[in-house]
Amino acid sequence: MSNPTSTKAILSTPIFANNPVAMQVLGVCSALAVSNSMQTALVMTLAVTFVLVFSNLIISTIRHFIPNSVRIIAQMTVIASLVIIVDMVLQDVAYELSKQLSVFVSLIITNCIIMGRAEAFAMKYPPHLALVDAVGNSLGYGVILLGVAFVRELFGRGSLFGHEIFTTVANGGWYLPNEMFTLPPSAFFLIGVMIWAINVIQRKRG
Amino acid sequence: MAFKKDSVMGTMVFIIILSLVCSFMITGTAEILKERKLVKKRDEVQQFVLKAASIDYDTSNFREIFSNRVTPRLVNLESGEFVEQENILDFDERMAAINPETSSKPKKDIAKIKTRADNIRMFEVRDENGQLSSLVMPVYGKGLWSMIYGYLAVEPDLNTINNIVFYEHGETPGIADFVTEPEWNALWKGKQLFDDKGNVAIKVVKGGAKAGDIHGVDGVSGATRTGLGIQKAVVFWFGAEGYQTFLTHYAKAEVK
Repeated sequence: MSNPTSTKAILSTPIFANNPVAMQVLGVCSALAVSNSMQTALVMTLAVTFVLVFSNLIISTIRHFIPNSVRIIAQMTVIASLVIIVDMVLQDVAYELSKQLSVFVSLIITNCIIMGRAEAFAMKYPPHLALVDAVGNSLGYGVILLGVAFVRELFGRGSLFGHEIFTTVANGGWYLPNEMFTLPPSAFFLIGVMIWAINVIQRKRG
Repeated sequence: MAFKKDSVMGTMVFIIILSLVCSFMITGTAEILKERKLVKKRDEVQQFVLKAASIDYDTSNFREIFSNRVTPRLVNLESGEFVEQENILDFDERMAAINPETSSKPKKDIAKIKTRADNIRMFEVRDENGQLSSLVMPVYGKGLWSMIYGYLAVEPDLNTINNIVFYEHGETPGIADFVTEPEWNALWKGKQLFDDKGNVAIKVVKGGAKAGDIHGVDGVSGATRTGLGIQKAVVFWFGAEGYQTFLTHYAKAEVK
């Protein structure tokens, strides 16, 4: 990943081959916490995408002016400002949802994916590549988050995006929801399975 | 002079500019959202008051129901009388409670609120015929970790609890969630605030209240301190430093 060859590679590697959550095991904290329903996972992905895209863009644009000694602080300032903005906007447009996501929106500040991309990529490459890299990594984050949320909500509550897919026993159907899937440990197992699967496929490809 | 980014001066200039730009971004966003936030807050207050008064509403008609049936009132706790003021719905109770000019320290601060506002906003709720159906009064106090904010609705006898709702707390998620659950709030319905001597007797009972206890509400195990905090908040707000003077006045005025 240190020498990206093409724009396409920058976009596609983080989605699968070098997925930030599954391969670099970054940003796992929020991935475990908000992946119990599709809706929160989607909103969280959008929030992370917004922050990541703009932080990469801004940092890449000003990268020649950032003094070396305070570069981490400068990155943090930009990221923190963006997160505060996302938090405020989210509270405005989706108040109930922002309550569910609670601290995890503010915790995007410490999401290692964003810091990682700023330090490892945006500081070295021009804005258009940084933008592509941000989109790629957001997609990588989103794929894992939505994938885990899909399994957790479907088996934990028998629904997707709040719509019933399996009729639960409580509603007179046949499906007995497996409560374990709504609890954080299940995300550990699911992400573990995903890491294993990606590794196996990677190895087959050589 | 060439800009040397790694010199002390360059670093200083960069950080100052960056901080300024970022702060402008944030305040700009906050300013744009300010008006909308105010409306949201007003809507939220209206909905929680209706909820506390056990009035059914939906998101399309709550403003209408509120304006038809609810009268916001500002009460001076010292004199126990209504204070006339415009736009009571926009009265900032949090600000009033921390501003030293409009608040005072309670002598016996059992609810651990530190400062209490002189004027409190409450709501008179009337039925379709204009008869008083309940009085929605704010109660708040410290639980285990955080301030718990809610409204308690009393019936016109000013003793029987109609309902209680909590709209904000920072207690342990998953353990103290019961405070916002309608099932738990419903336990308060019909309980009596005061005993025969006129003291506040409401209790959140660890292990569950006895059947037929008119002052006791079941506590929830694992969240004893949260329940105790709520009990103390109610005791404080309906006690001598809370609504006592007002309730005595109000009872006399309503008799006529």
